[in-house]
Amino acid sequence: MAELATPIRPTAAARVRRWGASLGLLSPALALMLLSFVAPLILFFQYSFLTFKEGKLYDVYSLGAYVKFFTDPFYYKIIGNSVKLSGVVTCFTLLIGYPLAYALTRVRHPGLKKWLGVVIFSPMVVSVVVRTYGWMILLSDQGVINWLLLRLRIISEPLHLVFNMTGVVISLTHIFLPFVVFPIYSVLTKLDASLKEAASDLGAGWLTTFRRVTFPLSLPGVAAGGQIAFTLCLGSFVTPSLMGGGRLLVLPLNVYNNTVDINWPMAAVGGMTLLALAMATVTVFNSLIVKWTKGGVRV
Amino acid sequence: MTSRMAGRHWALAIFTAAALLFILAPVLIVVINSFNGVAYSVFPPKGFSLQWYANLAKQTSFYGAAVRSVVVAVLSTILAVIAGTMASIVLIRHKLVGANLIKSFFLSPIVLPKMVLGVALFMLFIRIGLFGGLTGLVISHALVSLPFVMAIVSANLQGLDITLEEAAMDLGAGPLRTFFKVVLPQIRVGLMVSALFAFIISFDQVETSLFLVRGDNTTLPIEMYLYLEKWQDPTIAALSTLLILFSVVLVVLLGMGLKKVDVVDVFGSGKKNREGSQ
Repeated sequence: MAELATPIRPTAAARVRRWGASLGLLSPALALMLLSFVAPLILFFQYSFLTFKEGKLYDVYSLGAYVKFFTDPFYYKIIGNSVKLSGVVTCFTLLIGYPLAYALTRVRHPGLKKWLGVVIFSPMVVSVVVRTYGWMILLSDQGVINWLLLRLRIISEPLHLVFNMTGVVISLTHIFLPFVVFPIYSVLTKLDASLKEAASDLGAGWLTTFRRVTFPLSLPGVAAGGQIAFTLCLGSFVTPSLMGGGRLLVLPLNVYNNTVDINWPMAAVGGMTLLALAMATVTVFNSLIVKWTKGGVRV
Repeated sequence: MTSRMAGRHWALAIFTAAALLFILAPVLIVVINSFNGVAYSVFPPKGFSLQWYANLAKQTSFYGAAVRSVVVAVLSTILAVIAGTMASIVLIRHKLVGANLIKSFFLSPIVLPKMVLGVALFMLFIRIGLFGGLTGLVISHALVSLPFVMAIVSANLQGLDITLEEAAMDLGAGPLRTFFKVVLPQIRVGLMVSALFAFIISFDQVETSLFLVRGDNTTLPIEMYLYLEKWQDPTIAALSTLLILFSVVLVVLLGMGLKKVDVVDVFGSGKKNREGSQ
């Protein structure tokens, strides 16, 4: 017992060895981070201060790109589009994702539950390009949706669902749905069943129990899911590019266009703005998670 | 009361069925469209033909791209899983000061929009001469996968019973032997899942790689993206169907591999694992 009471102090040599081992094990991941994350971002930041004039890039430092970006209403519109798109898509994924996660918790049969989870997860293994293409076929003027609506005589002329905001919202909702279902499901399964029992013992009906107990306690999961959907949506490029048909200009598309036009300072400023928006999103949702977790469940 | 309860359950079941249809519809329609008889997408399909598969066989540009994609995915998966596992061991076992800070540093690429990463890497690679090569693609894909690998492996390691490792060390096994004989068998499922994730992530990179490849040696998703920008004939549906088939095999393997493990637990904290191992 005496040995336990006075722990042996590691010698200086042992401490150095231990640090060496830690550093050695960390080094591949650190090298990867420095080479392909830290270094490019620093360079990117540097490029945002360079000068672009009449189709050429000059090695002269200026704030020209920043001034242009933050005074031109064209760029306000693009930022607005990005935020609006992400907001709408996040709402839709949550509206579909929450009941789906709830249903997943109610399935009793373990096999059915597992395969239901696999099906919800499965679109993630299909390329975003393929899924966007699938929606382009489904939503086209001669696609399934229009055929069905015409057949049911709900509409008399095909709706224009592709190459505009509607098509982009539908496809992105599909693409980010799994990211929302799993955090919500994870919180719902960890809810203390006795709370629900207590509520119903006290005479609360299903709706009251859900509204006053289950839903408030599951909010951290909702925030976690919304955080992922909103952040990923801000950065989405393939779907707005293919499905937007050039009509929906969002930040990643603008960064792409500016890079192609060799206007790297503008691309860098757009990219930094995109990164800042993503970080702001994470911060806002994190504070929501913290706020809603107090006295509740952890994600 | 009972009839109202049943009604509620029916409503939820119908909603779930509709949601599943929503989830599977775009994938199913691609498969149907690949057998379309005409060059444009129309529903119901006009006739049945295999001409798009025949046309696909003639598109040699897809062959090289497919091989390239697989090579990059395999190499970047190996890199991400090895680097990520080594780093996770330090963060979970070595009790470093500021381990949480280091961990959030490694997880931070998740927040970075892919297009920003792609353009920034393009600017860097042009300067240091990695532009257009395989190396640049492999390390950039490994970086995107790294946070996912570390999240899954860390959660797995956290759930392990540390006394087993201590026993092995006390019995004279070195750190390497302890890892391969004691730790590795216990985190096998986690490693497999993280490798699968890394492979899928790499195979689906468009934004990150769009500027890193030269016109004549692209990857498969980029080749498909560029093809779709120009044409939308069902050739792309035929190729997509083959890819979907490949994915279905992956998903079924995953589903069977997860006999006892709940799909969702892999992503959750390691708590359940710990309970299970005791």
